[in-house]
Amino acid sequence: MKNSKVIFIIAFMLMLLMVFAGCTQESQENSNRQPAEFDFNKDITVVARDAASGTRGAFHEIMNIIVKENDTEVDKLVVGALEFDGTDKVITAVEGDKYGIGYISLGSVSDRIKAVAVNGAEPSVENVKSGAYSVSRPFLLVTKGTESDLVKDFLKFSESTQGQKITNDMNFIGAADSPEEYTASGMSGTIKVAGSTSVAPLMEKLQEAYQELNPDVVFETQAQGSSQGIKAAIDSSYDIGMSSRELKEEEASQLNRYVLAIDGIAVIVNNENPKNDLTSENITNIYTGEITKWSEVK
Amino acid sequence: MQNIKQSNFSEITMQAIFFLSALISVLAVLAICLFLFMRGIPAITEIGAMDFIFNEKWGPTNTPASYGILSMIVGSIYVTAGAIVIGVPIGLMCAIFLSEFCPDNIYKIVKPAVNLLAGIPSIIYGFFGMEVIVPFVRENMGGNGYSILSASIILGIMILPTIISISESSIRAVPESYAEGSYGIGATKEETVFKVMVPAAKSGILTSIILGIGRAIGETMAVVMVAGNAVMPLDKIELLKPIRTLTTNIVTEMSYASGLHESALISTGVVLFVFIIILNASLSSINSKAQRN
Repeated sequence: MKNSKVIFIIAFMLMLLMVFAGCTQESQENSNRQPAEFDFNKDITVVARDAASGTRGAFHEIMNIIVKENDTEVDKLVVGALEFDGTDKVITAVEGDKYGIGYISLGSVSDRIKAVAVNGAEPSVENVKSGAYSVSRPFLLVTKGTESDLVKDFLKFSESTQGQKITNDMNFIGAADSPEEYTASGMSGTIKVAGSTSVAPLMEKLQEAYQELNPDVVFETQAQGSSQGIKAAIDSSYDIGMSSRELKEEEASQLNRYVLAIDGIAVIVNNENPKNDLTSENITNIYTGEITKWSEVK
Repeated sequence: MQNIKQSNFSEITMQAIFFLSALISVLAVLAICLFLFMRGIPAITEIGAMDFIFNEKWGPTNTPASYGILSMIVGSIYVTAGAIVIGVPIGLMCAIFLSEFCPDNIYKIVKPAVNLLAGIPSIIYGFFGMEVIVPFVRENMGGNGYSILSASIILGIMILPTIISISESSIRAVPESYAEGSYGIGATKEETVFKVMVPAAKSGILTSIILGIGRAIGETMAVVMVAGNAVMPLDKIELLKPIRTLTTNIVTEMSYASGLHESALISTGVVLFVFIIILNASLSSINSKAQRN
């Protein structure tokens, strides 16, 4: 009785395996039959972030996808554009679709997709720094009222030569004009930080380095998005808020704003896409639906 | 005397503990209702109930912002309908096979497989959909693959276990005498199953379908990865075009949203909740009808 059960389970597993093996073989044959040709007359698959993302807000504003007229402000994103709630999903979508286009933080670019040049400028740290690559946004730290000495000391560290080196090592662009050497202050206490998931990896590195110099300082970090961090700073439940988008007026009036770094936004296409360079006009037209095919991209 | 008092005491405490346990689920439902309606209703009145439900324009970052969820309500209905079209025939036939025609040794394989299907987390379904079903649809049907069809296929698979297990047990619950009576007047096995057993299990099968609808309409993680999440105007909705549902609207934007936008997302949850209440109400009306018969 027991034996037969085991045999059945094994048989079942084998069946599953065979099905999967069959599938993969079939798909390999399929891809062999159709050599990787790029059909310029296929529709472009436009991939965007969700309406509340900091990356989207910045990108759509720079690319004039958001149109401001008098008091109105309308996001003209083409009907039918895919919207995803994370960088990873945007990458997966563009990686899988030959005719896709998307945008992500410069720090997240990998060889799974291809980052194209915009107006002839390669998306590199140097070009963002020099201003040749125009698609970029600030990473902000915000605090409310007069900071405690401890928070002041940490902000000083983030703007110091050590802090700026960490920032640059992570492919972001340090924003401090004339960084100074930071010396350990020997302070102790807890700093509570909340906010953007894009800023969090950089913040974590800064905290580690700061703790090496000041081992008695403890950090509590929560990364749930820019708006959350700004909210937390406004209601003083956290000491520092992180934001990957510019503050709105009603927020800016209540907070102190520090630019931690500048982050480029890379425009990405599928690896099989022969295009290496897009003008910002083309990008705008693609995202507003005036261009729907790669053949129309000049 | 001492003993009786003691047992009385433990009786009462245990009763209280059991009562409390029963109360907790009721309290949880009440708390969730309260939260949803307290946070959601003010936003709906601020936006305007008609504008919120019957406007197809969703532009929370525009100035002036528009918060219309009609496109998502329709999207949820389409995707769920698609899941039912795909999942119900397969699930029902599987249930009939399992309960009436299945040899024991095959049953031992199929039944655990169905149970396993029920236990797979929805994020895994989502990955499967994104890596297998989306490319499949893209290459064989056209479009870019992120579509109503892909979402329907994934949801159709996800509701199978619900439909199969409830339908199967309700067909098994039909008294043996029904079948014997049918055979007694000369009916074949097939006639007995399709004209006597399945109709007799009607209410159970309906229940399974409604629970399936509930699962499909509330599913989030799997849908967000295959549906493309584009807000489509009603006249542009197509089977192979992307779509946004009520659930995916909440999950894609909640992490960043603030102010009225955040409240509008909670209000989207209220609308979803109303759908679920309607489903549950129809469920209990089916059950009470079945009991009367």
